[in-house]
Amino acid sequence: MSQSATQSESALTAEVKAVIGATAEKIEASLPWGIEREGLRVFTNAIMDPDPRYWDDEFAKTTKFGHVITPPIYCTYLGRRTRPGAEDPVTRAFAENPNSDGIGGIRTSESRGGLPDVPTHLKRILNAGNEIEVRQYPKLGDRIFSQAKYADIKERVAKDGARMLIVTTETVYTNQNGEVLCILRASSIRR
Amino acid sequence: MTTAQELREKKQLYFDDVAVGHQFPPLVIGPLTPTHLFRWSAAIENWHRIHYDQSFAIYHEGLPNILGQGSWKQSILPRYLKDLCLPDGWPWKVTFQHRAMIVPGDTLTVWATVTKKYEEEGLGFLDLDVGIRHYAETCPGRATIVLPIRNGKAIPYPFVPPKNLVSQ
Repeated sequence: MSQSATQSESALTAEVKAVIGATAEKIEASLPWGIEREGLRVFTNAIMDPDPRYWDDEFAKTTKFGHVITPPIYCTYLGRRTRPGAEDPVTRAFAENPNSDGIGGIRTSESRGGLPDVPTHLKRILNAGNEIEVRQYPKLGDRIFSQAKYADIKERVAKDGARMLIVTTETVYTNQNGEVLCILRASSIRR
Repeated sequence: MTTAQELREKKQLYFDDVAVGHQFPPLVIGPLTPTHLFRWSAAIENWHRIHYDQSFAIYHEGLPNILGQGSWKQSILPRYLKDLCLPDGWPWKVTFQHRAMIVPGDTLTVWATVTKKYEEEGLGFLDLDVGIRHYAETCPGRATIVLPIRNGKAIPYPFVPPKNLVSQ
């Protein structure tokens, strides 16, 4: 297919539209031991947040929360972690493709709780922005569950005339009691 | 940068004391280094090479340098909003886009300005323009936070959004 032909045809095909609303399996995003102190320390150091609510038990008891809390967005990253005992995804990705970009071959739709691939020839993925809604701070020991769905897929035409897709996924994070902690609505560009 | 002691002693800002146009004190972070970027990649196990492999970023991807992560920026904004609301307010939601790239050497200013003020179910809501700025706005967006009203009711925890605002 020529480049011009590619650009004249809509990227929002019937196959792409069919995945809108697709919902993934609800999974436990946290590791079996739940939210733990050391992972929280590494995370809050990386966002340079020294808040004692994240580490000082005695102070945390005096707050409205009554215990150590975690940044709400922390739970949105827990599912990325390689679970102990799993095949090493980094080794596998580079064995399959020595020029792996370090992400495409490592996270696939085969991952737990993953959504089906969007059936498009547009393979480059860029982060287009997000919405984060916070309901409750996770606490130490919480087990975190997540469930994702394709909330929407739209087509846009770039300044260079190339067609691209804006894919929005909505992921709801809950704790072991089924209480909503936060909702992440993430948009990505496929081009 | 904010210190642990400042966050421990943070005085509550009340809804009553904020007007439309109010500019919150900014949070300045940086200059960023490759080590900051690598630390974030390791913290969340994001192995995308454009964030720590300079040769890959420049020669394979055609980028000017390794790039700061969108995921890091989107973690900084809620952190900033949390700080504004402490100790008893609530950083309900934030929406933003990723625009200009951030690279090592950049110093970032996180900011927020009040654009709307309203009460709902006895709670005080503030809509904000927010962003992370270097030479450009790299992460422009909007947020809604809840601040206590003096002598008003406590903000519920866990936070329950008023029904009238849920669909916004």
